[in-house]
Parts: sequence; C-alpha cells; structure tokens
Amino acid sequence: MTVARNGTWLAQADDRTVAGRAADGDTQAFGVLVRRYAPMLRAYARRIMGASAAVDDIVQEAFVTAWQRLPELEQPEKVRGWLMRIVSRRAISELRADRGHVDLDAVPVQALAATAESPARAVERRAELAALADALGELPAAQRECWVLREVGGSSYEEIAEDLGVPVSTVRGLLARARKYIITRMEGWR
Amino acid sequence: MNDSAPASIPGFDPADLDGHTMDELIDYLDAGRTPVDPSIEGSPGCRIALDALTRLRDLGPALLDEDVQAEPPADEGWVRQIMTNIALDARAGRRIPVVVAEPDDVAMTEGAVRGLVRAAEAEVPGVLIGRCRLDGDVTTPGAPIRVEVEASVPYGEPIAALATRLRAAVGATLERHTELVVTAIDVVVHDVRLLAAETAAETGEGKEEGR
Repeated sequence: MTVARNGTWLAQADDRTVAGRAADGDTQAFGVLVRRYAPMLRAYARRIMGASAAVDDIVQEAFVTAWQRLPELEQPEKVRGWLMRIVSRRAISELRADRGHVDLDAVPVQALAATAESPARAVERRAELAALADALGELPAAQRECWVLREVGGSSYEEIAEDLGVPVSTVRGLLARARKYIITRMEGWR
Repeated sequence: MNDSAPASIPGFDPADLDGHTMDELIDYLDAGRTPVDPSIEGSPGCRIALDALTRLRDLGPALLDEDVQAEPPADEGWVRQIMTNIALDARAGRRIPVVVAEPDDVAMTEGAVRGLVRAAEAEVPGVLIGRCRLDGDVTTPGAPIRVEVEASVPYGEPIAALATRLRAAVGATLERHTELVVTAIDVVVHDVRLLAAETAAETGEGKEEGR
C-alpha cells in the first residue's frame, strides 16, 4: 500500500476514524481534519466576528489547540461541533480583547424603516438567507454573537454565557432580542 | 436598543401571544413542542410566532452551508504552518518498559506502540484503523493487555473476515515488536466506505465534511 492510497482512503473515512487517529498522534490524519473543516470554520468565525474579520489566524490557532486537546475528546465522531466550539471561544476572546468588554446595549447601525420595503415576492431560500445575513449584520455585536453561537454553532445557553462572561439570563435576553429583531426584519420575505 | 421593532408585526406584540412570552415559546420549541401545550398550540398568535421561530432555526445551519460553498479550499501553505506547529508534540502516552538481558532502563512509548498497531492496517488493504486503546497496565512487564481498535472498512467485503484479518495482523505486529502480553484484540468496525476513484488525491478532499 502506498502512502498516497492510504491518504485517499483517509480523506474518505468518517470523522470518528480520522479524529481517533489524530488523537492517537497521527499527524497525517490531523491534516485531513484540517482540510476537511477549515473552510467551514473560517465561515463560522466570520459569522461570529463580522465580515471583515481576519479569520485565518483564529482558525489556525484553533487547530493547534485542537491538536493539543484531541486526546481529551471522548467521542471523536463529534469532532465537527467540538472544533466549532474551539473556534467560537477563540473568536469571542479575540473580540473581547479588541473592545475590552461586551457591549450589551449597543444601538443597531440601521433603523428598521430603511429595510421595510423589501420585495415581498422574493421568498426563495437564497433571498431569505441574504435577508438573514443583512439582519445579522445590523445586530449589535453581542446579540449577533449570541445568535450565531446558538443557531449556527449549536452552543448551549450555558456555554455562551461562559464564553461571553455574562450570566445565562443575559444570554437569554440577548437571544430574545436578536430573534425578535431578525424575525421582524425578515417579515417582508414571507 | 432594537426592542423598538414595529409593534404591528403579528405575533410579536405580547398582547398577541395570549399571555405567553417569546422566551416561553423558545423553550417550548427547544423541547420539541412536547408535551403538547394546548394553550400555546391553540393561540393563533403563538402559532405564528412558533412558525417564524422554526423557520429561523432552520436558516442558521443553511446560512453556514451557503457560506462554506463560497469558501475556497484550505490554502496549502496555511495548512503547512499548522502541521509545523503540531509536529513537536509526539503524543508519547505511557512509558512501556522493555525487559532486556541486562536491565538497562529500556522502554518504548505507548504512542510508538499505537503507531505500530496502525501500521498493521497495511496487511488488510482498504482498512483504516481509528482510535487504538491499550487497556491494562502497560508500565508493568507481563501485565495482561487488551487491545481495542476502531476500524473503517471498504464496502463490499465481509466485515467479519476483514476484522479477523486485521486482528491477526495487529497481533503479529505486537508479538514481533513488543513484549506486551496481549490477551485480546477487539476490533470495532464503525464505518464502511465506498471506495471512490483514487484520483481524488489526498490533498484534494476540499470541502467534503460531516462524514
């Protein structure tokens, strides 16, 4: 068996096999994980941090952390969500370092009225997603972060509270406001 | 604050929720709408809000999927930087003593033994070993050790036969290269792969994920 064929098989293997090997010290398997999930993790980090964020370094650091902690991952088949959580923690701490504190009451950059005339007939998924992306872009940072961690990353309220350094009740409040804003903002796309 | 959304949107004015709150509805949704709450399900305002929340919930993962489609594959230079960073950590694991004629504090690492076990997969083409555990006190010479390996196998061959061959290959390798007293080798097959054309080089897996 050549190394190349082995690499091809590895690239086709499931997460449990690949992450299990990487946890045992197989760097080639870890390389497969990196290539498999780097695009997704970059996209996720960008949703958390905002479109202009430099996410390459964040994701790179997250992978190095992941390598160190992989032996602790009890269920290698859950490596995708586990990697997302490492990226979100890294992204949030980067944001907090930048702004010094979580800005819970920031005002959205754009008023609702400006977007109310969205074409009501455009109900396709793509348009809906574009509207969602716009709405996310308008949310205050803390609300956007909460929503993305919860609805894109699948983090629990407790995990989000830990990452943001705020009480769970605050997370609930931020999420409620984010959901209300997004749904209201997207109302025209129904 | 963005609580100033127009109150005219049906379902979002507290008055439209028949005494329920958005928080309550979200918890109800998180619980899979069970047990059924007749008071919520019977309220038109709540139903509208639940519909909106449900659609929004589906959109989160869809948004990420769309983002990922637009992302280029990982840059190889960027991947190499990561690989360089991690290469220093050898994942040694426990220290396994080797008894020689004149005891001289010779040992191999658990990580090295795992590497040997993984290499045994070459005897059964197409089979890939996943996580490998050495169950037992490997630090004491002669202690009974149970080996457990997870495996991904190619589609189309009897799994039991592949597992038997893999077990034999792992046993032979450990016998040849270590002094471990192996009492059992358990093979857990959890993945069956369709062997695609081998033109998809090992660097070309791109964005396939979620396997």
